[in-house]
Amino acid sequence: MRRIIFIVMIVLIALPLQVQAKYPSRAITIIVPSAAGGSTDATARIFIKAAKNYWPEADFVVKNVSGSGGQKGFEEIARAKADGYTIGMVFTTQVVAHIVSKRAKYTLDSFHVMGNVGQDPEIVVVPKNSSITSLDELVKAAKEKTLTATVNGIGSDDFVAMRKFEEIAGVTFNMMPTKGSTEQKAAILGGHVDVSFMNLSQMHGQHKAGDARIIAILDETRSDLVMDVKTGIEQGYKVLMTAARGFVAPAKIDKDVADKLDDLLQKVLKDPGFIADCKKDSLFLLPMTGTQFLGYLKELQIDTQRYYNKNPW
Amino acid sequence: MIIEALQSILTPSALTAVFVGTVAGVLVGAIPGLTATMAVALLIPVTFALEPLTGLVLMGGVYCGAMYGGSIPAILLHTPGTPAAAATALEGYPLTKKGHGGLALKVSVVSSYIGGTFSTIVLLCVAPILARFALRFGPPEYFLLAILGLVGIVSLADEGELVKALMSGFLGLAIAVVGTDPISGGLRYTMGITDLFDGVAFMPVLIGMFSVAQMIELTGVKSIITDRTTFSKIKREKMPKGLGKFIGLGSVLGTIVGILPGEGATIAAFISYNVARQNSKNRKLFGKGNPEGIAAAESGNNGCVGGSLVPTLTLGIPGNSVAAALMGGLIIHGLIPGPELFTKHGVITYGFIFSLFLANLIFLALGLYLAPYFAHISLTPTSLLIPVVCLFSVLGSYAINNSLFDVFVALAAGLSAVILHKAGYSCSALVLGLILGPIAECGFAQGLIIGHGSYSIFFTRAPSLALWAVIALLLVPPFVQIYKHHRRKE
Repeated sequence: MRRIIFIVMIVLIALPLQVQAKYPSRAITIIVPSAAGGSTDATARIFIKAAKNYWPEADFVVKNVSGSGGQKGFEEIARAKADGYTIGMVFTTQVVAHIVSKRAKYTLDSFHVMGNVGQDPEIVVVPKNSSITSLDELVKAAKEKTLTATVNGIGSDDFVAMRKFEEIAGVTFNMMPTKGSTEQKAAILGGHVDVSFMNLSQMHGQHKAGDARIIAILDETRSDLVMDVKTGIEQGYKVLMTAARGFVAPAKIDKDVADKLDDLLQKVLKDPGFIADCKKDSLFLLPMTGTQFLGYLKELQIDTQRYYNKNPW
Repeated sequence: MIIEALQSILTPSALTAVFVGTVAGVLVGAIPGLTATMAVALLIPVTFALEPLTGLVLMGGVYCGAMYGGSIPAILLHTPGTPAAAATALEGYPLTKKGHGGLALKVSVVSSYIGGTFSTIVLLCVAPILARFALRFGPPEYFLLAILGLVGIVSLADEGELVKALMSGFLGLAIAVVGTDPISGGLRYTMGITDLFDGVAFMPVLIGMFSVAQMIELTGVKSIITDRTTFSKIKREKMPKGLGKFIGLGSVLGTIVGILPGEGATIAAFISYNVARQNSKNRKLFGKGNPEGIAAAESGNNGCVGGSLVPTLTLGIPGNSVAAALMGGLIIHGLIPGPELFTKHGVITYGFIFSLFLANLIFLALGLYLAPYFAHISLTPTSLLIPVVCLFSVLGSYAINNSLFDVFVALAAGLSAVILHKAGYSCSALVLGLILGPIAECGFAQGLIIGHGSYSIFFTRAPSLALWAVIALLLVPPFVQIYKHHRRKE
């Protein structure tokens, strides 16, 4: 009898081990630190659609943990069980801004950075009836009288981009932070502010319709969505900023599992169906490996820290 | 193109989508905590697999249905299903207690229908012009609009309770201070709790103060009403006369507030309700079950539906959170808001607008036909009602942000509401303060920034002056009344 119990126990202990050996054996949760319907959420859902081609038997579940500029979601990823069944998305600059402002309970070391997927380049927009048509004219106007500029919240990509631009151009804006890009759009379209630092996806439609004017895109290359808009570098202002969206996993994840996940991400990034879906949904791709993305995040953190030290929030 | 658009929604798949969407919307709206925003957002991945138009009309149906659905539990149980129905509860529930729940439901569905249809006509005919008009509203105007909503606290107050109502309002404003300062980015009273960085969410507070508190209040009785005699008459009960004026008022105000980017149905409903209360001949009946209040509030919140889509479709600025989720659905199908939506993608856009008329008709038929049956809900024994409503309250407050913290907020709000209510403080005023506080603060601070520090910005712009005039008009009657009241006392 004792022997039978012994054997049963051995089997019971061994069974889960065997199951574990085959990863993934159950649904993988992807924590999206923003509300359903946004572009980070859309990225995750399009990713899942493509990932199924490579891991046909794997299931993915999106869990939207929105709030506090993504912080709630980032923290949930950082403290999740590192078994490979919870991964998540991060977006910049918020993910590093929370560390810089000492609010986050995580650091970049809390994550295994899998890689970056998409981006939303920063743009500089003025109202349609504004006389400003280029960055030079913007700087000239800003030196004549104080211009009001909107950014989406303190510590956001817009905020850092505006500070960088101020530094390089030697001007100071009268900054009006908003809660969300909707307010920024309304402020620009209604002509209530002089200039807005925001993201391309939020304004390219209005630019084409003639409701607002994008005067610069702060990316290395022009965007084929708005080919007429010059980059900041072309206009002589070396300000680069984008909202990057990538995947991370909890730091203590198993090396094997991490490799599998990294490999999946890189495969999806090259998937033609995935690329087509992103294009349809106006999501701009910026593929990076884990190492590249981690380097990018570290650099961004140093930059953000500099602006924080000057003027903490 | 118009005919093509009509044809495109008269296909079986589109019609089914409108019907399913509207019915699901009514259900979602009726359950406290499950909001139209959430439902529309959840549908976005579903619409991936559907034709663009089918997906859109599905979401449109949910939006229309949910806006009406919120009034059903508000009237029958005093547990508004959506924040926009909170004003409806103030008049609907007393009617239910008098045995006229069926009538209140009918008034609500007819007003919702007219408000919804009116705003959709506006959306169809004059969207681009109105959107330009809405753009003239900037931060200073949003501040004044929030003040306009807060003025409602004064007129919500029963005679002699004004001080307590104002205190509740200030309590709401004080709670609204918690969270991240919108301008400096600094944290205020968050005690290091990440869940508080965004402030105290008003949905859990609303669920607690209305639903949970109401269930605690009901523990002493067997059922909300016991007298069944009025039920047989519901079908023949005539609509009260003179509601047209209030429905018209609510429809227009709701549409206007809806068009303003970022302003929601809750404010529309409260402002309509408040204006109706000030302009009614039966002012004394308000708060005790006046169908006029229901008519104004419900036409107001449904008027928001079409209104909120005006800036969403023409300019890509969502009118409120539901419209924002809907816009996400549009973009996923490559439909970028702007003029192209009405030309290149006209068939889909006009088809979608037509489907809103249909959705309004569907919930009208549904509401009128089912009103007598819905009314029976208030006969449910509390031993059954309380656990079910509490279950949904907990579920709903969790589901808003997938946050357990919010569940505790709801429960704490429920307990506090019982105490506040017993002491004569108004919970509606508190919720109003909590909802409008952040809007007022942000508008005020941003207005000052735009004005480079000068307060004159609040007095020099034309829309601001118009809003000041409305605020004054709404404040005069209550103060005249207070003055008279005191004279009589002396």
